[in-house]
Amino acid sequence: MERKPKNIFTQGAIDPAFIAESIAKHSTKTDIGGHSIFLGQVRADVIDDKKVAAIEYTAYEELALEKMHIIREEIFSKYELTCMHVHHSLGKVAAGEICLFVFTSSAHRRAAIDACNEVVERIKTELPVWGKELFEDETHQWKVNR
Amino acid sequence: MITVLFFGKLAEIAGAKAELQAVASTDELLEQLRLQYPALAAEKYIVAVDKKTITGNTSLTDHCTVALLPPFSGG
Repeated sequence: MERKPKNIFTQGAIDPAFIAESIAKHSTKTDIGGHSIFLGQVRADVIDDKKVAAIEYTAYEELALEKMHIIREEIFSKYELTCMHVHHSLGKVAAGEICLFVFTSSAHRRAAIDACNEVVERIKTELPVWGKELFEDETHQWKVNR
Repeated sequence: MITVLFFGKLAEIAGAKAELQAVASTDELLEQLRLQYPALAAEKYIVAVDKKTITGNTSLTDHCTVALLPPFSGG
């Protein structure tokens, strides 16, 4: 049976309480020896004297979820992971708030750390998601990933 | 009918969605779009037909969905 791609998108910022809860849920999985977590936070960049107040994310959701499904399968075949969770914001996320949460777990640390890094890099380069940087004066520019 | 989806900055130029009649290929479609929205010419994007990214000219059939995707900037 073909598995339906999991939804990774959350409207607005990712609540730190949700992240804490997500960590707590793993206490029953006692084969895990290490977790690796990446949290993306919206930065208040200053560009030409204008400060970024928030980023507004949009995505080609259907394609992004299909692509994430492929990335997930490839990561699981490459690394000895126990589990992996990915959450990405859509809509407006204010500076200082969390917009990306990647969480990998494995029996031994190395797999979790390497898989987490690779997933973050692949999310940035392969998922059809766009960030619009909204300035305090209500003008905007389109974010460019580095 | 061909559905065209625009994302990111491109949606500001052309709107989120357009519907075109009787276009046989992606080259023809892009040519039409550039005539209609001259600002597209200055933009970088890749093209996906029915959620598959393409590299060269691709023939289109009725009910195809073509998406114009500017450089990704998620995360």
